[in-house]
Amino acid sequence: MTAEPAAERPTRLARGREHVVATVGEIRPGERRIVPIGRHGVGVYNVGGRYYAIANYCPHEGGPLCQGRTHGQVVVDDGNPGGAAEVRDGEFIYCPWHQWGFELATGTTAVKPEWSIRTYPVHIRGDEIVVTG
Amino acid sequence: MTSQTSPKIDASVHVFFKDGADLRGHLREPFRSRGFPDPDVAWYSRPGPKYAEGTTGADGSHPGSDPELVGRQVLDERGFDYAVLHPMSVAGTLPDWHLGTALFAATNQMLAERWLESGPYADRFRGTVRVNPNDVEGAVREIERWRDHPRMVQIGLPVQTQAPYGRSYFKPLWRAACDAGMPVAVHLEMGVGITHPPTPSGPTRTYSHHAAYQPMTYIWHLLNMIAEGVFQEFPDLKVIWADGAGDMVTPFMWRMDTFGRPHLEQTPWAPRMPSDYLRDHIYFVHSMLDGPGEAEYASEWLRMTGKEDMVMFGSSYPDWQTVSPEDLPSGWSAGQRAKVLGGTAAGLFGIDRLVPA
Amino acid sequence: MTIELQHENRTAATEKDQVRVVDCDVHPVPRRGELAPFVPEPFRRLFAQRSERAGEMIYYDAPDYAHAYAMRTDSFPEDGNFAGSDPNLTFRQLIMDAGSDIAILGPTNGSDGQTEEEVHALAVATNRWQDACWLDPVNNWHQRFYGSIVAAIEAPEAAAREIEHWAGHPRFCQVLINAEMRPAWGDPRYDPVWQAASRHGIPVACHLGRGRFNELPMSPVGFMTYNHDLMVSYSMLAANQIMSLIFDGVFDRFPNLKIVLIEHAFSWILPLMWRMDAMYKAQGPENGLKRKPSEYVKDHIWFTTQPLDYPEDKLELTNAMEWMEADRLLLFSSDYPHWTFDDPAYIVKHVPERMREKIMFRNAVDLFHLPSEVPALAGRKRVF
Repeated sequence: MTAEPAAERPTRLARGREHVVATVGEIRPGERRIVPIGRHGVGVYNVGGRYYAIANYCPHEGGPLCQGRTHGQVVVDDGNPGGAAEVRDGEFIYCPWHQWGFELATGTTAVKPEWSIRTYPVHIRGDEIVVTG
Repeated sequence: MTSQTSPKIDASVHVFFKDGADLRGHLREPFRSRGFPDPDVAWYSRPGPKYAEGTTGADGSHPGSDPELVGRQVLDERGFDYAVLHPMSVAGTLPDWHLGTALFAATNQMLAERWLESGPYADRFRGTVRVNPNDVEGAVREIERWRDHPRMVQIGLPVQTQAPYGRSYFKPLWRAACDAGMPVAVHLEMGVGITHPPTPSGPTRTYSHHAAYQPMTYIWHLLNMIAEGVFQEFPDLKVIWADGAGDMVTPFMWRMDTFGRPHLEQTPWAPRMPSDYLRDHIYFVHSMLDGPGEAEYASEWLRMTGKEDMVMFGSSYPDWQTVSPEDLPSGWSAGQRAKVLGGTAAGLFGIDRLVPA
Repeated sequence: MTIELQHENRTAATEKDQVRVVDCDVHPVPRRGELAPFVPEPFRRLFAQRSERAGEMIYYDAPDYAHAYAMRTDSFPEDGNFAGSDPNLTFRQLIMDAGSDIAILGPTNGSDGQTEEEVHALAVATNRWQDACWLDPVNNWHQRFYGSIVAAIEAPEAAAREIEHWAGHPRFCQVLINAEMRPAWGDPRYDPVWQAASRHGIPVACHLGRGRFNELPMSPVGFMTYNHDLMVSYSMLAANQIMSLIFDGVFDRFPNLKIVLIEHAFSWILPLMWRMDAMYKAQGPENGLKRKPSEYVKDHIWFTTQPLDYPEDKLELTNAMEWMEADRLLLFSSDYPHWTFDDPAYIVKHVPERMREKIMFRNAVDLFHLPSEVPALAGRKRVF
């Protein structure tokens, strides 16, 4: 009864080694791709030409983090009507469940640094995007 | 400060004019001839005595209006070194804010002359500068007027307001309180006036319901002040919720933190976790209704959310709900008990020495 | 039987699953135009006219509202309708993926009428729609959905008739009312609702939501500024309703009445019970109250777990749950598909082990007279 058909779970890539996840140009600035690394998958993001990779798992209640929206961070700005501004557009991921936000580059949050998400090293080799995870 | 050297402080004693004529005698015209309610008129009156037994003056004057009787009952008989006097008033919820401010000025004058500057207990009484939140400019002037009085130790505000205390137009009040180095004590206003209904569902049908619910009113102010960034902007501001219900702060801070994690994006002016703003900002007067009473976990409960550093003993004398030290939970540790009975108040009000012999 | 075959044929298995998780707060919403046929005239035409050019109505907005609409953003179906409008998606995300065995539907779309009559008409329509579009044999082939008799507390006599109309329906397990109505529930005007519900042994659940015009839970100190302080202070509304129910003697008048407070948080009930008991001790039994207030709470009132509010030190929550006897008070809930969704696997971790079975399913099975086993589903997540 509990056996899962193969179609339910795509083949998972092994963890702890390098994975070529895309070629440069396949993930354009502002885009992301979720690749099957680890138990929950990894989201690979291109923010203004810099690449980041995070676990597709929110440490709060286990939501699919990479299905959330990326945007900036809100700061006080008295020069702006309403007294606030959003800065560093696209550099933060917000969970689709509870809107907890994390910095893509570091996986941390200014409010509670101890609640962090897992990040993975990304580097470009030739025209390949390589995630170590 | 160690518990051995802390004075014992009753952080909330309610004082009154002797009667309506006494109050009018402290007013100038045109306010002396105005109409305003008596403090013992209420939408919800207790079916039973309103004041503790034996607190009425020998001449029939209002409970809490005779300095010598109060000093004897609150200080001598209960063994306290100091008492912080908080005048009860109707002025804070009157529609005409000019009249309200005039009434508060008369109240402060009476408190200073009758309680803090004369009589055998004057050096052991500390006072409250009552000000009107419906007249922020006038309130600031009243704080300026009294801030250098050596025995005025806190600002007094009503808990019933038109808008929550986080709103930006109250900022001059917080600035003035910080400049004066005084904490702000918020207490239920008496009488009747322009108040919103006491519960989100309107009036109550029983006194029990009303009297047990209303002390929790501070929760809205506290949540709003945190989210509006008041404590971020005024790091020296200290607020005393003087009607008790400090025990409710634990669940509401759990809730505000849990729910606040994503909402902080909407309030960058209050960037820290909500509960981070409690320490050194928030204090409570203990009340008769505050739990858990004689429970084995009373000490642990007081420790949670840092309440052991927030709660101060206050008798609320001469109200019928007055408490004495014997009413405090026996499960508290000696250290907790010492903080509540004076240690915390001594630091907050700067009362750091015993009564001169 | 494979999942595909079972789901494609929409046939319930003959094998049974033990019920281990009952989710007491799930929000279905009608697809665009789906409710209208169930609304009686003249209200159908009136509502259609009123909705012309009327768009977004939010004014206390959850984070990133313009993108998330206060929903789990992964819960919007692909057909462009709103989150919670597709029974199949709800089934997949909640029953299959999250692992709830039974979902009690609590539609909150029946509240925004401007008069008592309008609210009642919406309640009638919502019940017919639930029956036809969610609890029907096709959409509820898996038999995992139960529903709520939506009742307009604003119109107590009509609400009582609506309860009578649906009582005995095998898949409606509770009455659902809005939280905001004034005055508080101790007022005798609501007695017909309590009477009808307790006559049929159906609990009355109350969900927060926006009531009629100007029926936000108005604080005694004016309006909050943000969704944050508003939603946290919302518990004060429930605290007041509890005090009204108890001090006004509702449970003395209706000894079988059970009240379920959905999504009002619950940890505040611990100091509130102390407070009420202290007042009862000091003031005596006003209104002829027969028992200590906390005893009424433990025998008559239930809370759903969502939103679970937790301190930095989780042991404090565990202690508080022990002190309040949470196993006599709590029912698991997720609030799916709202953005404040609590996953059952997450809640299980926070519930003291000795209370887990009661809070996750047993209390709900007993309270709502639910089956303790349901047709089996292959490939479903098992929570604990």
